[in-house]
Order: sequence, then C-alpha cells, then structure tokens
Amino acid sequence: MSYDVLFIIHQGVIMKRLVFSVLILMGTVFSACAKKESNNIVIWHSFTQGARKDFFDNMARKFEAENPGVKIEIEVFPWATFQTKWTTGLSTGSLPDISTGLPTQVADMIRADLLLPLNDVIDSIGRADFYEAPLYAFTKDEKNYGISLYSHAHVLWYRKDILAKNGITPPKTWDELAKAVSTLTKVPDYYGLSFPMAKTDYLSTLFLLLTAERSGDHILEKDGTVVLTSPNMIRNIKYWVDIYKKGSPQSSINFATKEQSDLFYKGKAVFDFNSGFHIGGIIQNSPELSNQIAAVPVPMWKTGDPDNGVIASHIPIVIWKQTKNAKIAKQFLAYILKKENYVPFLHSVPAGMLSTLKSISESEEFYNNPIIAAHRDDVKVIQQAVALGKAPGLVFGPQKGTGIIANQGVIEEMFQNIILNNVPVEKAAKDAEDRLNKLINEIK
Amino acid sequence: MTSFFKRTIGRISEGISQPGFWFVFPAGLIVSSLLIYPIFYNIIISFSNKNLLSQSWEFIGWENYLYILADPAFYTALGVSLKWTAASIFLQLLVGFTLALMLNRVKKFQGFFRAALIIPWAFPGIIIALSWQWILNDIYGFLNNMLMNLNLISSPIYFLSDHKIVFITALCINVWFGAPLMMVNILSALQTVPAEQYEAIQIDGAGPLQAFYHITLRHIRTVIGLLLVLRTIWVFNNFEFLFLLTGGGPGTVTETLPMYAYKTGWMLQQLGRASAVTMLLLIILLAVCLVYFYFLDKWEKEDIYE
Repeated sequence: MSYDVLFIIHQGVIMKRLVFSVLILMGTVFSACAKKESNNIVIWHSFTQGARKDFFDNMARKFEAENPGVKIEIEVFPWATFQTKWTTGLSTGSLPDISTGLPTQVADMIRADLLLPLNDVIDSIGRADFYEAPLYAFTKDEKNYGISLYSHAHVLWYRKDILAKNGITPPKTWDELAKAVSTLTKVPDYYGLSFPMAKTDYLSTLFLLLTAERSGDHILEKDGTVVLTSPNMIRNIKYWVDIYKKGSPQSSINFATKEQSDLFYKGKAVFDFNSGFHIGGIIQNSPELSNQIAAVPVPMWKTGDPDNGVIASHIPIVIWKQTKNAKIAKQFLAYILKKENYVPFLHSVPAGMLSTLKSISESEEFYNNPIIAAHRDDVKVIQQAVALGKAPGLVFGPQKGTGIIANQGVIEEMFQNIILNNVPVEKAAKDAEDRLNKLINEIK
Repeated sequence: MTSFFKRTIGRISEGISQPGFWFVFPAGLIVSSLLIYPIFYNIIISFSNKNLLSQSWEFIGWENYLYILADPAFYTALGVSLKWTAASIFLQLLVGFTLALMLNRVKKFQGFFRAALIIPWAFPGIIIALSWQWILNDIYGFLNNMLMNLNLISSPIYFLSDHKIVFITALCINVWFGAPLMMVNILSALQTVPAEQYEAIQIDGAGPLQAFYHITLRHIRTVIGLLLVLRTIWVFNNFEFLFLLTGGGPGTVTETLPMYAYKTGWMLQQLGRASAVTMLLLIILLAVCLVYFYFLDKWEKEDIYE
C-alpha cells in the first residue's frame, strides 16, 4: 500500500474519531441541558425595583443552594404591563411556572382554567393559619388557586396637624368626611380630598366601591350583573361628584395612581384613601410629615353600622397549569412563606404589605421594624380592614365580570361625562351599567 | 390555460434566475414575514370573537365591523383622529417650512442652528409626554408656578385637564416635536434649487411671491408631498404620545382611533373587535395615501415633461 493511501486512511480514521467524539460530546451536552431544563422553573413577578425585587432574587439563590440541581429564572414586568404579558403568553404558549398577579387578573386565570390548585401547599403550611378572606378570593369549587403573598387594604389617611389646627376630629361617617373636605380645602395650599378619574386606571371604580360596600352594594352583584342605578348607587355616584366639586384639584379628572398618591405625599391633600403603602411614600417624599399622618377605618354611612369590611387587596402568587415542575414550584411557594423568609419580605415595604398568615401578623418579629413600630396603630387599622375586606369584583369569588371591573374605564368615563358634559347622573349611570353588562355577556 | 401557466412559470423562473432576485430575496422574505403575516392574521381574527382570555375562538362574520360602525365612540375617536392629524400636519408644515426658509438665508452657523432646532425630534415620545405632563401640571408644574410667581396669572391654567384647551395644548406640543423633521427635509430640498432660476425670473419681471410659487415651491413640492405622506401615517397611527400625556381625556376629547383600538383590545379584552378597528384604520389610511400618491404622480409627470 502506498504512503498516500495509508495517509488517506489514517486521516479518515482520525476524522471518524473526531466526528464520533463531537457527536458524543454534543449528546452529553444536550442530555445535560435536557436534564437541567427539567429542574428549571421560571417565575414572573412585578416587583420591579428595590427591596422586593432583591428579596425574590435572594430567595431564588437560597432555594437553589438548598436544592442542588434546581435552577430558577426570574423575569420582571411592571404591574401595568403584566396583563399584556400574560395574555400574550397565553396566545403564544409561553407562560411561566409561577407568577404573581393582580386579584382581578387571577380571577380571569381561574375562570379560564389556567392554574394549578394549591390546596396541598396550604394544608402543608396549616390551613387554619391563613386568613379566610385572602383564601376565599382565589377559591373556586373548594379548590384554592392562589396564595396571597401579601395583603393590604384601603383605609382613610388624614393629616393630623391640619385636622387639629381646625378643630376637626377624624370622620367616622361619609357625611362627616364631606363636611371636613369642604371646610379644609384651601387652594392652593392643599385640597380636602382628590377624586381621581383617569380612564387608564380604575381609581374611580375603587372609590365608588368604598361607598358602595358600606351600603351593602358591590357594583358586580352575586348574579354576575353590574348595578349602578339602584338608589344607593346613585347616591354614591352623586357623593363623589360632590367631593370632586368641593375638594379636588380640577386636574384630578386625569389622575391615575401616581398622581393621586403624589398629591398626598407632597402634603397637598388632607385626606386620601390608600393602604399602608402611603407610609413609605410619605417617608420617601416628605419625611417631615411621617408623624403627621394617621389612618382610620373607611367611613360608614351611619354611626353604629356594622363593619363588614370594604376593599382589601390580596396579591396572589400562582402556579400555572402548564408547568412541568409542579413539585418544585410548590416547594418554592412553601419556602417563601417560612417565617425566616416571609417576615423579611413583609419588612421590605414596612406596613405596606401585611401577612397572609395569622401567626406572622401576631408575631413580635413582624413588629420588630422601626416603621411598623412607629405606626403600630395604623397597621392595626389596616389589619382589621384586611381581615374583613374583599378584592374589587371578588366579593362573590371569581366571576365573569371580575376582570372587566378593574380594566374597563367605563365607570371613570361615566364620572367624566357627568362632570365635563353635565350628563344627568341617572342617565350616565344607566349608560355605564348597560355597557358593562353587555361586555360581561359577551364573555364566554 | 396550460400554456398560460407554462408562460407564467417560465417568467417566474426567468426572474428567479436573475442575480438581482437573490440579492433582494432575503430582505424580501424578512419583510414579508414581519409585515404580511401579521396583516393577514389581523384580517382573520377581525372576523372572529377572539378574546384576550380565551384560547379558542370562532368566526362571527361581519359582526365586529357592524358593532364598531354602530358605536358612537368609534366616530368620536375617528373625528378626533382626523382633526388631530389634519391640524398637526398643517401646523408642522407651516412652522417647519417657515423655519427652513429662514434658515436657508442664514449663512453663518447654519449647522449649529439646524442641530439646535432638531433637538425636539431627537427625544423619544415617552420622554416628551412625561416631561410636558410635569411642565404643564397645574399644581406642581413649572409653567404654572412661573406664571403665578411673575403675577401673570392669578390661578393655574388647566392645560391638560380643561377640556376646552387640552386639544390645543397637545397640538402645540406635537407641532414643537414634529416641525423640525419638516424643517430639515425642506431645508435640504431648498438647497437644491438652482440660484440662476431666481435670477432668470427676476429678469422676466416676476415678484418675490411669483418666484416663490413658480420656482421654490415647484422644485420642492415632491419632497413636501412625501413628507406629508409619511407624517400623516405617523401622526394618525401614533398612540403613545396622547395616551401618556392625557390618556385620551378629559372625557374623549383627545381619544384617537389607535387609543380606541387599544381600549377595545386590551382593556375590554375584545381582541377580534380591536383587530376590526385596526383594519378600518388601515383602510382609511390607504385611502388618504392614494390621494397623496395621485398628486405626487401628477407632479412627477409634470416635472418630467417640462
């Protein structure tokens, strides 16, 4: 055999070995990747910055360290864009394993049968330790589809110094509030109470619900229809139109959450309705006012009326049905709610996030935070409201219209029509009611 | 029929065998997939009851179109869109043209002035909307506070919450933003006008206005026409500026058709219906563009045959 032929055979053998080795290597890499993929979980959340974002990142790393082989990938989307994100993900089939969400969004997810029941996770932690209202909000046919990561509730915040200066006590009824707003509005120094009406937000709906719930109305009623034209609801609508005229800046017609909160944070509003997040907002924007704000329960219509709760938001964390790693996802949820992990999470926005677990709420560890300690009385008011309150549209559990209620802009437009175009309240309410019921009927 | 197909296939093969075809093919494929697929998908779901929350949908024929064409809110949004586009384009052209004519006469530091005047165009829409929102805020806004401190006004002006003036306010901001693009393009076109033509028309005894009409305008009308086409499409389709600045309010005074489509699709979750709105939007824009192209073609032919 000539040297040329031997050389060619030799090169061929080497080539064969090289190709074989590459194939084995590729097979190893791909199978390794495939192995890793089965222990990967993807989490979507909306804590875009600060301590809460850091918390999730740290939790993920800690969980990975304690569970070798597990890889957690986190993607963050602002609250305002999450609706777009998950609905688009649904269309394209790219959903995560775990995500947070807004209560009304999760209601839609439950209705569309997109979530995994979490009864076993709740039972493993201890069902009796969970507050009932947050559990009920995400329950359908006795299956719990979401665990509340934290709760907060709307209470009435007020400026102690301004009320004291004018000899006014914190209002207990809506009429007392209206009178105080009228008396205390001193433009341009400050406004009594801003009534926000941006169509891109749902604050008018929220404020309307505050008065409605106190009179036993819910906007979205048990039979799944929207009622805005009952005598009580007409009274409620007229109440807020009156508040706007007496005590709001004209520009509140365009106020969304940020503008509404900013007005209070900058000391330009005497009253506002919001949760414990207001404490953090005031400390950040006007720290000199942090001792001048206090919270009382949402007013009643009549003194002595029973407190059946108003609005509470329970921010859920859920596991998507399409997950391939249900076991790991459930373990991660239970891991977050362990005391040594959960209390630091709640402290990341002190007083803004309240516990879903009774044992944590009553623990000294929870109160071992300077801001929570300084506002202990306010936190108690909010805790009381959380225990009794229900999320907008979720009073009777997830319904067809729940998602519509928080996103429609119809009620906001109704108020704008009344104020800007002088449409009679009854007509505007009827038009909005008809429109909302038509939208709900179109949902399959 | 067979010979027709044979001829067609023959022509296609001939085209494919040209080297130019293969240079263009990759770009054409990408543009087609990014453009044609979404349009066709949009057309299909505009005839369906597709909902944001449901994975299944069915064809419902013309129901979405009939619903929208019977909705008074659609006509309100359409009216606002047409008013917004017409006023924006007219004023942007007027301001841009004037600035271009002025700048054309500046001999020293023309580059500096051109760069300074185009700054608004360089900002992203979101920055412009949020910045002006802050400037015009009636409580903390820079402008109101400055005017009140100078005792020029005794109470704040509700630039963005008074439904009588919000449209004009937004329009002024849009003109401030869009005029520089007109200015830069018209200025470039002005600099291609032969100077000897002005001398010739002067010799013929024509005045400045006649020189402007017969020389200046005649030379640059095609550039203006193309600018008008592009800006009409961009302004008519623009969503983020008004959405961020006013949210379409107060009321529906600044709610344009793109915002109506967004509200229908994302807030009310009616994706099929929102697609139908965008199809109607496309038809309206195509009709407007056809008018523009008619005049552009006419001018081009006139220029060729002169």
